Amino acid sequence: MRLVIAIGLAGVLLTAGAAEAHHSFAVFFSSDHDVVSLTGPVKEFHFTNPHGIIEIIVPGKGKPDQDWKIETNSPSIMIHRGWSKDVIKVGDVITVQGWPARDGSNYMRLRNASRADGTPIGTAPAVQ
Amino acid sequence: MMARLVLAAALAAVPALAFAAVPMKDGHPDLSGYWDLDVKVPRDAALMKRIGPNTAVLDDTGPTEFPRGEYGGLKPKPGAMAAADKWDPKQDLTVAKVCSPPSIIYAMQGPFPIQIDQGRDIVVIRLQYYDMVRLVFMDGRKHLPASAPHTKVGDSIGHWEGDTLVVDTDHLEPSTLTNNGLDHSDNVHVIERFRLSPDGRTLLSTQEFEDPQTLDNRGARFIAWKKKDGEFLEPYDCDPSFALNYGK
Repeated sequence: MRLVIAIGLAGVLLTAGAAEAHHSFAVFFSSDHDVVSLTGPVKEFHFTNPHGIIEIIVPGKGKPDQDWKIETNSPSIMIHRGWSKDVIKVGDVITVQGWPARDGSNYMRLRNASRADGTPIGTAPAVQ
Repeated sequence: MMARLVLAAALAAVPALAFAAVPMKDGHPDLSGYWDLDVKVPRDAALMKRIGPNTAVLDDTGPTEFPRGEYGGLKPKPGAMAAADKWDPKQDLTVAKVCSPPSIIYAMQGPFPIQIDQGRDIVVIRLQYYDMVRLVFMDGRKHLPASAPHTKVGDSIGHWEGDTLVVDTDHLEPSTLTNNGLDHSDNVHVIERFRLSPDGRTLLSTQEFEDPQTLDNRGARFIAWKKKDGEFLEPYDCDPSFALNYGK
């Protein structure tokens, strides 16, 4: 599994990540230290409000593969930033970065996403 | 002499030109259009001056959220505080609740665009957030009788005070004030003031609320939006199956 922990983003993330107002970002996601980066093929993509869900399979490299779910900002906002229900297709290999769930599950909140060649997905950051 | 006349004409035209930047309709500034929340707009002094005493001005407009136990200066009564202490955020993420919108108090400050269609007798404020639709009656009617149902958009009546649209709302269902467990009651009363910037491109507003059943003081927010031409609200069409990702 390719998993990178980036330290040092404290101070901006409580605001940056909490772009959807209904459920509390701070309660569910670790906004104050770790940012996770994952790469793998897309298993499912749901582009519906209140949040989209990208499900990817992260290769285990000798260990079992792991399914991760990545929660996006509200699609009603992301659609103004170059996202659509067709922007990602099942089987596409993508890299996602975001804030992990506080409960330690394979679930995180999307900060940004890119294709296998490094091209950003969408025209603006996925967060507000 | 001619130079003086030209100068006088030019000076006389300045206020008119400045005023002309604000679109007008039926003798009032026309607030119609697509407006995108912008948290970088400085608080408007004229509107802030109108906020009443004993009021906490919350600094959580847009994506910012208060952490648990922080209410931005609001003074919850013991019952409201006890309820907030018991708040279980996972209960908000059930299939039954995840598509239930907050009331307009929290919804208006969210990081979503709004669209206004202004008529003489009614102003329609649509929110992209949860596809909410507000009707502001400008025809001089009074509020609904106390027995009328309470909703998340409430009952809104409005009038003009100079260049400012004043919207008075009651009949709201209990809902969150700060998205961290503090809820208002169904007796909350909201006053909003809306006015345009001199160039007509920024919609400036304040939201004041009082709820003696819940709070020992009053609350307010400054909220502003930038006009975006050629944009339209997207459907929200909330999908409750999202909650299944949280195990409910």
